[in-house]
Amino acid sequence: MPDWIRLRSRHWTQTKVFDVLGLLFRLLFGLAIALGTGFGASYYALTDGRLLAAVRVGPWVAWPDVGQAAPNPYTRAYLARTGHLQLGHAEGIQFSAFSDDDGEALDARCTYEIRGTVPGASFWTLVATALDGTNIAASDALPALHSERIARSGAGDLVAAVGPHLSPGNWLETAGKGEFVILLTLYDATAFSGGNSALGDMPSIRKLVCP
Amino acid sequence: MSRLLFWAAGGLVLGGLIHLIVIITLPDAATRGVWNRLSAIAPAETLVVIDDIGPNAPNPLGLDPELLYGVCRLELNDGPGIVSGPLPLAFWSVAVFNPSGHVIYSTTNRSGSGDLLDMGLFNPSQTRLLAEQRFEINEGLLIVETGGDDAIAVIRLAPPHPSMRERYRDILAGLACRTLR
Repeated sequence: MPDWIRLRSRHWTQTKVFDVLGLLFRLLFGLAIALGTGFGASYYALTDGRLLAAVRVGPWVAWPDVGQAAPNPYTRAYLARTGHLQLGHAEGIQFSAFSDDDGEALDARCTYEIRGTVPGASFWTLVATALDGTNIAASDALPALHSERIARSGAGDLVAAVGPHLSPGNWLETAGKGEFVILLTLYDATAFSGGNSALGDMPSIRKLVCP
Repeated sequence: MSRLLFWAAGGLVLGGLIHLIVIITLPDAATRGVWNRLSAIAPAETLVVIDDIGPNAPNPLGLDPELLYGVCRLELNDGPGIVSGPLPLAFWSVAVFNPSGHVIYSTTNRSGSGDLLDMGLFNPSQTRLLAEQRFEINEGLLIVETGGDDAIAVIRLAPPHPSMRERYRDILAGLACRTLR
């Protein structure tokens, strides 16, 4: 075989190998993007979901559609994922906060102050739970704060401390460590009822003490 | 480079499809939904008051520690179901769940029922009969069309104070939960 033919054929094999490798790389790149966006967006939609079905006010998140007979697909998937006994539309609405006003995740070793007005409701409860829903209150005697059993500020606002450090006034003592969630459940609430989609102020969550 | 961008765009489109498929198929694939959890604790035609869940105990249903929960599962293929009885003058509410785990009907004591819960659950053919036969219906009866033969009614009752909890639990347990045959 003449030299020039051998050279050309080697060159040809090399380009072919590069082509195949390039295709493989682009294929894997496309697949990584597909899997990342597909499952990433699904996870985001069902945990935070603020762009889709959830309503956010400050650190508080609520899913206004959970108590409906025919919820939207995102809310359906959210319900299936949590498996919680949701409140019917007429019964009330639950807000959950995973972070404080600064956007930092709530840490069970810190104490937070919750201050402000709570939207209209017959009554409300405030519970601190771990991410898996376990109540992290330190004592059986006070598993939650109840709107009818707290002291109010002069303006009728809620001022309460949630955390392990001894606090004056309303104090929901918690124990444990790691991230936690504050659940504010409004029973017989006016928010999102009767075509009312506007939501007033929600209480603020501010870090008080942190070791 | 433009070929890489082309593949990236293709990846995004495929990602969108994966996202839609996950969101749409997840509810049917879930086996730990609220219906399965409630059916596991409530036999048919028995009003079960869920035990208190203290701090640091698993709480798969996400229950509020301040409330009492009564669960009544009904199978309506034999006849319409009723959930009825007196309740204390405190906040209470009822939600009816269908097998998809969605609330098809809910109300509270503020809607005029006061201290008496009287609810009838009817499947579509029973609802039609009810309208055609013009049965006499007691005033204040809440009529719920369930859309199918299976329904679970969840009654939430809020004791104003923890010391009233046991008494309220007994009252809740005394509600009638059965089908009329």
